[in-house]
Amino acid sequence: MRELTFTAAAREALAEEMARDPSIFVVGEGVGARGGNFNTTTGLYELYGPMRLRDTPIVERGFIGMCTGAAMTGTRPVVDFMFVDFILDAMGELINQVAKIQYMSSGRLKMPLVLRGSIGISGASATHHSGSYFPMFVNIPGFRVVVPTNAYDAKGLFKTALRGDDPVIFLEHKALLNAKAQVPEEEYFIPFGQAAIVREGTQATAVAVGSMVRRTLEACEALAGEGISIEVIDPRTLAPLDIATILQSVHKTGRLLIVDETFAPCGIGAEIAAQVAAHGFDDLDAPIQRLNGVYTPTPYSPPLEAAVVPNTTQIVQAIRDLLAE
Amino acid sequence: MAVEIVMPRLGWTMEEGTLVEWIKQDGDTVEPGDILFVVESDKALNEVEAFDAGIFRIPPDSDVVGKLLPVGALLAYIVEPGEEPPFEKAASASPTTTPSASASVVPTPVIAAPSNAPASNGERSNGLPAISPRAKRVAGELGVDWMTLKGSGRTGRIVERDVRAAAQTRPAAARVSPVARRAADDLGVNVDALAAQLPGQRIMREAVERAAAQPAPALTTADETRTPIPRLRQVIAERMAASAHTTAAVTLTTEVDATDLVRVRTSLKAAGEIDARPVPTYNDLLAKLVAETLADHPQLNARFDGDSIVTARAVHMGLAVDTERGLFVPVIRDVQAKTVRQIAVESAALIAQVRAGSVGPEALSGGTFTITNLGPYEIDAFTPIINLPQCAILGVGRIVAKQVVIDAEAERVAIRHMMFLSLTFDHRLVDGAPAARFLQQVKRFIEQPYLWLVN
Repeated sequence: MRELTFTAAAREALAEEMARDPSIFVVGEGVGARGGNFNTTTGLYELYGPMRLRDTPIVERGFIGMCTGAAMTGTRPVVDFMFVDFILDAMGELINQVAKIQYMSSGRLKMPLVLRGSIGISGASATHHSGSYFPMFVNIPGFRVVVPTNAYDAKGLFKTALRGDDPVIFLEHKALLNAKAQVPEEEYFIPFGQAAIVREGTQATAVAVGSMVRRTLEACEALAGEGISIEVIDPRTLAPLDIATILQSVHKTGRLLIVDETFAPCGIGAEIAAQVAAHGFDDLDAPIQRLNGVYTPTPYSPPLEAAVVPNTTQIVQAIRDLLAE
Repeated sequence: MAVEIVMPRLGWTMEEGTLVEWIKQDGDTVEPGDILFVVESDKALNEVEAFDAGIFRIPPDSDVVGKLLPVGALLAYIVEPGEEPPFEKAASASPTTTPSASASVVPTPVIAAPSNAPASNGERSNGLPAISPRAKRVAGELGVDWMTLKGSGRTGRIVERDVRAAAQTRPAAARVSPVARRAADDLGVNVDALAAQLPGQRIMREAVERAAAQPAPALTTADETRTPIPRLRQVIAERMAASAHTTAAVTLTTEVDATDLVRVRTSLKAAGEIDARPVPTYNDLLAKLVAETLADHPQLNARFDGDSIVTARAVHMGLAVDTERGLFVPVIRDVQAKTVRQIAVESAALIAQVRAGSVGPEALSGGTFTITNLGPYEIDAFTPIINLPQCAILGVGRIVAKQVVIDAEAERVAIRHMMFLSLTFDHRLVDGAPAARFLQQVKRFIEQPYLWLVN
């Protein structure tokens, strides 16, 4: 089977859906002739021109408001944030209008708005270009929050995002954009709310988010040599969250570690831990543990940057500690 | 928590009893099923068993032996290891100390703290060993007394592996209470075999008596199979039980002359498929006839919804379909507005989907009435179960040629195609007479199918 990068797979999903549905258009800084800062729209401008690949000035709240109105009239805007850090400039519009409009209109208005952007700490991008922010969006009713971790999932989930009627926050980790995976030629969709068990195991469960999936798999591979068997779960979408798959795994293993690059307080790990403690208490053989990035603005200096993100060695140690509990 | 041990009521009429002797003494370790003391009631001497595990504590000033005491009189306590029984607490408590002085609120750090919390030597402040929730659950399942275990967790906590290891070194026989063993001898029950079949349970007298009451099913495994309940069977079981327990079901049966219906069906069959659309079956014809009848008797096309009765205008007809996996009831919508041919097309497609397992949930819900046909299995009449939340279900029997009196005066008989209808309805929603009138009209339509053509 052919291999595609994460970016190419997501772009293929966008291209297929734009060909199929003329109401889809893309808005953002540099998405036109430039093809997107991360090549998210390369080649599409030549096909669909400036009406459907609309470059904007640097005014996030303005173009989000514009796209909110456009979605209310029945079109399907895709907003490309380049770096999702700048979505913060549009928070008022997003939380008070985008997330609430279907509720406020008793479902008469739809909000098929897809908001995409790169997240995560990678390549000395410094603190204004390294955020992930997904816990903030998971906290708001109305948003679907999608964090794909490979090319195959990126395409299937992006297709689902483009077909749905709810606002979707589609977050693409910078460290994964060039990672290749097998992507079939045939069309496929991945439903929201369905976690992937990316490695089966019996002694503990590791839920890993975003770029931590790959590092956690590396850690588990290293531990497998010692006969340690760890199950790894990639939630894929954080809202809706597939807690059932996590609970089933914890029922089997009795131990849970959540590996997440983003900050621990009120993070997705806290949410998963609370739900497992509530519904899987009698399955727990050890305290639930979290391994998070350091609670600090992201440093620019490459060695310092590397020091704030959980690495494979730390994940190995966290698993050892969990098994020793 | 200290458990109070009181004078038990050993018979309906017992109001007092004499404590003859203590079998367990103050400070003894007891397990559920151990005999604590002997009581003389008006009938006999009775050994009284413990229901809880722990340390048996008799107040030092107790002088109950040999005395006649009322039922409920406090005799002693079973406490957890290290726990003070209430009579000692009362003596040692001074006005300035509170019993739970050790409990305090630990401030929660805003940032997750590194996990180098001080080790607690595997013991909690209440003197009990620390145990993980999972290990505790498994201990319960395997009948392991974890209070005596040494934990292998980082802080000395008992974890699952400790409990499993303990369970392996502990023979099943040790789980049988003395009373249960004696009862087993009396009743001829192999108590060790029973213990092996009930892993993780302490075998008490009750279990032995249960086994003695039904020796064959409880103790044999060679001649029966045990499988987990398939999901579909669970759903069917829940729905059938819900219907049987909540409806006031009444079944009416009547015999119908279906000769003309057979004629219609035979002509349709002879005409063959039209535009590759299938020939209507008896079920399709009956669906249409019943839908027409329901238009005149809407109270049978109704359901309860909270505190109101909802009467549907449209007839969504459920058809009971038997498959390899079990019973399914796909629904044909708006039967009142469709031609028999349309119904035939839809029902054929639905039944094919159901048999192939590709039917969607929307096609299996929303029915307002159901038809179930056991005619193909040579059944005449039966009592169908109402498909909740519907009001009624029509059971269709086989069509069979019979000799029938058609003119008693002239003493004339004829061979006619006869069929039984069985209507089960919910008497909560509709009374007997209107239900009978409904069935009567269905009968009339079957006997004279052209009537509904002009209805």
